[in-house]
Amino acid sequence: MALHRLSFRLRQTATYVRSLHTSGCGQQQAAVAVESESETFSVCRAQENDPACQSEKHLGQYYTLPSAHVRTLFPHGLPWRYQQQVKTFNEACMMVRSPALEVISCLKKTDTSKPAVRYLFYGLKGSGKTISLCHAVHFCYTQGWLVLHIPDAHIWVKNCKELLPSSYNTSRFDQPLQATEWLRNFKVTNEHFLSKIKTKQRYVWTKRESTEEGSALGELVDQGITRVKSSSDVVGAVMKELRLQSGQPESNFRLAVAVDGVNALWGRSTIKKEDKSAVDPEELTLVYNLKKLMKNDWTGGAIITTLSQTGSLYTSKSAYLPHELLGEKGFDKMDPFIPVSVPNYSEKEFESCYLYYMDRHWLQHPQSHTEEGKKELVFLSNRNPSMLERICGSL
Amino acid sequence: MAASITGLLKPWSPRVFLVRWSRYNPYYLEPEISKEAYSKPESELSAEEKEERQLKTIRPIKAATSGVTSSVFCDPVISKFINMTMQNGDKVLAREILTQTLEDIKRKQVEKYHKAPEGKKEEIECNPYTIFHQALENCKPIVGLASIQKGGKYYQVPIPLSDNRRRFLAMKWMITECRDNKHRRTHMYEKLPRNCWQLL
Repeated sequence: MALHRLSFRLRQTATYVRSLHTSGCGQQQAAVAVESESETFSVCRAQENDPACQSEKHLGQYYTLPSAHVRTLFPHGLPWRYQQQVKTFNEACMMVRSPALEVISCLKKTDTSKPAVRYLFYGLKGSGKTISLCHAVHFCYTQGWLVLHIPDAHIWVKNCKELLPSSYNTSRFDQPLQATEWLRNFKVTNEHFLSKIKTKQRYVWTKRESTEEGSALGELVDQGITRVKSSSDVVGAVMKELRLQSGQPESNFRLAVAVDGVNALWGRSTIKKEDKSAVDPEELTLVYNLKKLMKNDWTGGAIITTLSQTGSLYTSKSAYLPHELLGEKGFDKMDPFIPVSVPNYSEKEFESCYLYYMDRHWLQHPQSHTEEGKKELVFLSNRNPSMLERICGSL
Repeated sequence: MAASITGLLKPWSPRVFLVRWSRYNPYYLEPEISKEAYSKPESELSAEEKEERQLKTIRPIKAATSGVTSSVFCDPVISKFINMTMQNGDKVLAREILTQTLEDIKRKQVEKYHKAPEGKKEEIECNPYTIFHQALENCKPIVGLASIQKGGKYYQVPIPLSDNRRRFLAMKWMITECRDNKHRRTHMYEKLPRNCWQLL
């Protein structure tokens, strides 16, 4: 897609060069035409593709994520509809919005000697919390941080196909399938860190298998992927190693923990034990180890989370505030955190989104190009990003 | 009882009030749905249109059906198709199926457009509405058979069909084809676009 834009820019300069050779009055008109063309071109697209260099003047504009980054960073992190959009438009573009920019500016100033700061994105359904999280995670990736991304904590507490009693602690339960999937995606994201980080402890899996002290993290992850039965314990071990090592002066990496749907950790689950009694999320190994990461007793990184009502169990549809979704226990555990509200699109952002869809030839209905059509889109979607996307899908 | 509504009743109001029926006294006029018809100022109207407007201020008007809207995106062909795919009165589901079909068609075409080289881009039609209308046009029959009785026997005679009948037959055949000739687990919104591509 960069090639397409390059040719566009060259076309612009070519017309400008041609106009210099024409008569004087023609030159004026051509110059104005080129200027307005470049204006519409840049109004919805930011020229800055690096999240570290984005600032308030890029607010409302779309920046492109390189496809290599998308493939490694987000094997499992992006929402389904956004993935389809990336496939259709042949490029991954995200809008630069103020909640994500605020969190990124705070992340730039993180002090590695202080305990990890917790950020929480909250907002109405479909207002862009997951995409803001992905934007912040992309920033962390470009800065070389180690990214621990859990795409949806709710899948760990519902629809469990296999539940095994944990070998490490008999009162807890293991989820081998989810753990192996997560480990596979973790490996894809953090390929280059796996050989650099060494374990500080010896782990014994069975009578014949163990991971020695000082072996690479990659070996630990491979152990979890190949031996499915002990994968949940491997996940716990990986999290413990990263937590202990991230603040130390000899380790040169920073840890970014990104969890989407963090209210699942303190909610209820629909998984049932054999005697039909419900399993508390505390009793699941994966959730137990993740909660240890959520505590801010470790240094050298940041915790970025999102609330999500869509996948959550036993919460009302209209709940979106932190206190309602996290509950008493969750709120006390997460406290103190920095809440970041993600609102619906402002007028400028809506304009930018509309222009982007027009640029990508997504709005095909002839009436949607008119003012009346635009007013109707505003009315029907209430400037909610996901509603706008669904409505524009069929137009 | 003196302050009853009998004083407000006009000669053409029915004794029993119509709530959801479609049979009206011929005195009632059809509703005008689009906003553009009323946005024309007085000076631009011809004499007949002025008379019609005058009539609308006096005569009663039928209630508009709940399927039509004054939205700019309202399409009568699409509304008719949605009504025909509807089963058990579930219009929400029928609309959902059709919007997903249109989105499917558009997604495929836009993907092709973005991957095509510069010269071929103008030839790719991305508008799902034009594709859908073209598919229906291709499906419309030109003549139909009618059973005519002559000399005690019935003969199947080809006769020209009216536009409404042609449109109805095209839609009916499209929907039955999608419902019958598919695997049990394929959804309508997967089968409908495949049919459209076959008809183009």
